[in-house]
Amino acid sequence: MSTQWVIAETAALAAELIGGLRDLEDGVLTAFVGVDATEAKTLIALGADRVVALAPGNSTPWEDYVFPLVDRARTEAPDLVLVGATRRGRGLAAFLAASLDAPLVSDAKALSRREGRIQADRMVLGGLAVKTVSTDAATVIATVAAGVYAARAADLRRSGPIETLEPVAGRVRVTGRRLKDGGDVNLAGAKRVVGVGRGFADKADLALAEALATALGAELACSRPIAEFFKWMPEERYIGISGQAIKPDLYIAVGISGQAQHVYGIRDAKVIVSINKDETAPIGQKADYSIVGDLKEVLPVLTGAL
Amino acid sequence: MKRVIVCYKWVPDGADIRIDERTRTLAMDGVSWTLNDFDRNAIEAGVQIKAATGCDLIGVTAGVDTEASGKDALSRGLDSLYYLSDQAMADADSRTTSEVLAGMIGRLGGADLVICSEASDDEYAQQTGPRLAALLGYSSVTCVSALSPSGESLSASRKLEEGVEDVEIAGPAVVSVVPDINQPPFPSVKQILGAKKKPSQAVALAEVVGDMDRIRPQLRTDSLLAPEVSRKRVSLSAGGVGAADAVAGLLKALAAEGVL
Ligand SMILES: Cc1cc2nc3c(=O)[nH]c(=O)nc-3n(C[C@H](O)[C@H](O)[C@H](O)COP(=O)(O)OP(=O)(O)OC[C@H]3O[C@@H](n4cnc5c(N)ncnc54)[C@H](O)[C@@H]3O)c2cc1C
Ligand SMILES: Nc1ncnc2c1ncn2[C@@H]1O[C@H](COP(=O)(O)O)[C@@H](O)[C@H]1O
Repeated sequence: MSTQWVIAETAALAAELIGGLRDLEDGVLTAFVGVDATEAKTLIALGADRVVALAPGNSTPWEDYVFPLVDRARTEAPDLVLVGATRRGRGLAAFLAASLDAPLVSDAKALSRREGRIQADRMVLGGLAVKTVSTDAATVIATVAAGVYAARAADLRRSGPIETLEPVAGRVRVTGRRLKDGGDVNLAGAKRVVGVGRGFADKADLALAEALATALGAELACSRPIAEFFKWMPEERYIGISGQAIKPDLYIAVGISGQAQHVYGIRDAKVIVSINKDETAPIGQKADYSIVGDLKEVLPVLTGAL
Repeated sequence: MKRVIVCYKWVPDGADIRIDERTRTLAMDGVSWTLNDFDRNAIEAGVQIKAATGCDLIGVTAGVDTEASGKDALSRGLDSLYYLSDQAMADADSRTTSEVLAGMIGRLGGADLVICSEASDDEYAQQTGPRLAALLGYSSVTCVSALSPSGESLSASRKLEEGVEDVEIAGPAVVSVVPDINQPPFPSVKQILGAKKKPSQAVALAEVVGDMDRIRPQLRTDSLLAPEVSRKRVSLSAGGVGAADAVAGLLKALAAEGVL
């Protein structure tokens, strides 16, 4: 019987990884998650055999759990470890991998086991290509982002032990945490999304995109420069390899050139529309429908027609 | 801070890669190589620490034909370069890379601080920094958006999903910086000319890795293909149609798709 681990910051992400592992293969599954006792019970109902609750103190970095996890991995020798691909999770997974001299597949998709080898897909070259990698290592680690797997239905007859784990302090101490007031951005669940790019020369012109989004009942999103450099929109709204990946029915890219790093985030959109004044912009090849024209002219006409 | 090392990667320029639409294969011949985008920020973070502490600032890189990277990297403010160029790096995975870099840093006698960026343009593995920390026995601090030395220790801010986490780091560390930590300036003509005079030293693989088995990639590449795109690619403006007609055509199409 194989031994599997899930390590995640939140119960929601852990539930998805548990669901993914349960579909992949049978095994004894231990979940290491930041949860309270009630949430731990829920994770057992969702497929974990054992839950280890993580509750770091105020001055403890979450990554300090890596030290006891390394020790425990040496004795339990898990075959497969899925780590939730959050910012902390990715760092912990890499530190764990090097400590155990194990391979780590970053942001894995389509994980499978074939003839004893673990195989997975991952994005490389800024979204230009997908690399399929495989390994026969005894312990394989993969980070997996939210939305890749779905949680299973709860089976309330299941039961299992709930433990806690104490972090082992390293030389990094948390001196403060400043929560951001992100507002409510729900791009992941949006049916329609209007994305704005550097084709908007002026911040004031964003009103044109807002009007379209309102008329469509769509969420507003953007390319990386709009959020990171111009800071016209919060970072939660940018799409791509270093931002969000979304799955709307409709994505309208306005003044976006269609670089691979951006398009990676809209690959699963059902229909992609582009509005761009340059008919040779790469987005034309990556969209279902394109309108070639100045956004200042096209957007008011489109909004008016809705 | 006496010695600070910046690890930077020399990567193929994605803009030069052509894709064969039929076979989905990538044509890499004739592709130019460039400094990893986010590593510009890593070097600039090192330059700012040097300005504050007067430390020695060394660039470390491993790859194929990395000698060519020296001109650009050194013009950005590094004092010297330590590079490894070996065909064995062509199919390196993160294990290979971090073992080689750890060997190189070990040969330099370690460092008070090693700066990486969060991700490389080509692999985007987001692993090298924390792996290096584990191999060197240093602390790992990822997602660093601000960094300042204070006496013997370092304060850093980390940009995480829910907000910012401030930390104090005692002892040697590997930090991975996010691109918004700074805005790297363009090198001046003086810096570009000065780069040629800076010391740059090559090191051979056998000098930094004792056991070649440890740099064998653990991940095998089974295939590398452009993603399948099955988009309709209909231009609604074809034939010089005006905005009003193009919009009418779009609304008709979207209604037919059932997405309105
Ligand atoms: C490591 C790395 C990670 C990255 N991650 C991401 C990511 O996650 N997400 C992301 O988006 N980018 C990312 N990028 C950046 C990416 O490579 C592109 O630079 C970026 O997506 C371009 O944004 P854009 O399309 O808005 O701007 P541009 O490329 O400048 O395109 C602007 C477009 O607007 C059009 N235009 C101009 N004026 C008008 C007008 N009046 N009307 C209509 N059209 C007009 C132009 O024809 C052009 O096509 C990353 C880059 C790197 C190196
Ligand atoms: N071959 C390399 N040589 C030097 N530094 C590297 C190399 N590969 C990765 N790095 C460093 O590690 C960071 C993250 O890379 P990666 O783990 O590949 O996403 C890069 O931004 C560099 O700072």
